[in-house]
Amino acid sequence: MILSLIILYVLTLLYLSTADRFRTQTMILALQGLLLFGIAIARMHSFHPVEMGFIVVETLIFKAVVIPAILMYVINRTKINCIHSSSSQFGALVMSIIALVASCSITYYMADSRTDMIFFGVALYALLTGLILIVMRKRIFAHLIGFLVIENGVFLLSMAIGVEFPLLINLAIMLDILVSIVILGMFLQRMDNEIHTDETDALTSIKD
Amino acid sequence: MEMLIYLILSILLAVAPLALRTERATHIIAALFVAVQVVAIVLLLCFDRVDSVMLYIFRADTLAVVFHILMTAVLGFTLLHSSSYLKAENVSITSYKSYYTILMLLAVAISCVYYSDNVAMTWVFLEATTICSAGIIYHREFKHSLEATWKYIFVCSTGIAMAYLGILLLSTVAHHGALDYASLKDVISEGNPLYLKVAFLLIVVGYSCKMEIFPLYTVGVDANYAAPAPASAFISTALVNAGFVSIFRIYSLYAAAGEVFVWARHLLILIGILSLAVGAMFLRRTNNYKRFLSYSTVENMGIVAIGLGIGGVALWAAVFHVMCHTLVKSSMFFQVGIMRHIYDSYSINRIGNYMNINRVGAIGFTLGTLVLLAFPPSPLFITEVMIFSEIVSVGSWWLLIAMLILMCVVIYSIWGRSLRLGYHSNQDTLHLSAVNRRLSYSAALLLVVAIVMGVWQPDFVRDAIDAIINID
Repeated sequence: MILSLIILYVLTLLYLSTADRFRTQTMILALQGLLLFGIAIARMHSFHPVEMGFIVVETLIFKAVVIPAILMYVINRTKINCIHSSSSQFGALVMSIIALVASCSITYYMADSRTDMIFFGVALYALLTGLILIVMRKRIFAHLIGFLVIENGVFLLSMAIGVEFPLLINLAIMLDILVSIVILGMFLQRMDNEIHTDETDALTSIKD
Repeated sequence: MEMLIYLILSILLAVAPLALRTERATHIIAALFVAVQVVAIVLLLCFDRVDSVMLYIFRADTLAVVFHILMTAVLGFTLLHSSSYLKAENVSITSYKSYYTILMLLAVAISCVYYSDNVAMTWVFLEATTICSAGIIYHREFKHSLEATWKYIFVCSTGIAMAYLGILLLSTVAHHGALDYASLKDVISEGNPLYLKVAFLLIVVGYSCKMEIFPLYTVGVDANYAAPAPASAFISTALVNAGFVSIFRIYSLYAAAGEVFVWARHLLILIGILSLAVGAMFLRRTNNYKRFLSYSTVENMGIVAIGLGIGGVALWAAVFHVMCHTLVKSSMFFQVGIMRHIYDSYSINRIGNYMNINRVGAIGFTLGTLVLLAFPPSPLFITEVMIFSEIVSVGSWWLLIAMLILMCVVIYSIWGRSLRLGYHSNQDTLHLSAVNRRLSYSAALLLVVAIVMGVWQPDFVRDAIDAIINID
């Protein structure tokens, strides 16, 4: 069960690298939220209502509903549609596959008995995919997607390592990330209003 | 309980201006806010609460108290200078109130970073400083501030997400989820060395956006450029110190990690020398006084990172360097803020003749430059000599030569710019009515304290630094 969810998660990352519509990318992020919920529930050894509640809030509500809803709102308001035409999907796919191979190699090198290496490898792949999206895509919205992919990777890594932070700390971390996303979304809209573009080329006016 | 009262009071006072109608009422609230900080520090010291754990996640250790004192001092001056800055800018009352609110909320978030005794909560509060800083950076609402704010939030959030990965790897050593620094230090030697190395790398790289060192220093420079000058003084000192405190706590933790600690120190030396190189290079290139001072922060924090990496006496010097840099750099940013009113510009190539226009401000800026360049009796002279002597004693000659070459470039760049401001002919429009000698004097006060520290370090300062560097 967990393995099939993990494989599905890897496929979403591959698809995300090549998808050229922001709506599609947002839907994939929502799907990743659902998959993370499934993975987290499947990994629970026993039923703890508080832990269960937190997983529901963090994955099902937060990652699968609230954040995609914020992104859709930004897409509708700014009328941005697809990634820059000059971005090569083939290039992105090649980079993504290289990232997958690199993740497997690093995971093999870092193998540790206390860590779930499948989760570790996928988490690393998610992080690299996020970074590739940020580095290779020209539109600012794609950078936001890349940041969220990294955040999902961090969630997977916490499961790989089996770290259980106290609830208060988990809540604080979740709120911090939510506020960051809201503020980034707000500024993206402002940029669209004031600079009339959401391309990174427009963000090079501060120079020495 | 005390911490809870402090936090509630501080947050309530911070948001209070939003419900007020006048600038005067906002000033009273700001004064009360500073008073709360002072009372909190006095209570901690008088009732011997130093080193006590509060609300499970805070600890009032010497490091936290010292940097809280410095933050409060800079905050007082920042609020004072902000008032005149905002009046000169003719901002609306709503903007005026929101500026004070965000600045005070930023101060609360920074103080939480200082006092945090939990590796994950330090991360949370650092992220909170990003959110508060964004409001300050965007305050002037022009195209550049929008760009700087976006970059700041995005790079800091991504960088801090990387630091979170490091915290996750570090927490593999934790027993029963105990993430306080003392518990982690007890068990860190049992950790997987590779994980610990990767964790240190990720945390230092992530927090570098706050401490303004290589590699994520750029967002801090852009933030200082876009923010109002008095707020830049606060960001460039109190917030940079928050980054330093966060890295220093991890550094102290790794002191018990044996071989990994040696690796971590080498990494800090590498980051330090790269920061120094970046600072030296861009100090030559930039044409804006605020960016110029920001690159000087990068250079100074590079020296601090080298001090941490070398260890021994250099560790003492690094902590003292950060403390004195706080006083000097905030003073210089305040002077630059006053200059902005007179020239309506920060352009290095266009403005000049400051010695004849505002002699007090010009002397303050020139003196600040000399202190920053570590000319005796600058306290930075003492710290840099201590760092050099430790480098010599460990036999890192290549490091000494690299540092000396880079610092020669820094001295040439900074001194040339300072003379240009004082004596070069001015090409910009002047607003002589904006000359405010009282503000220039008040900014110079911080500089005087720094110079006094260079001549005479009181016993309590020495004892405090000794307690901070007692990491074994």
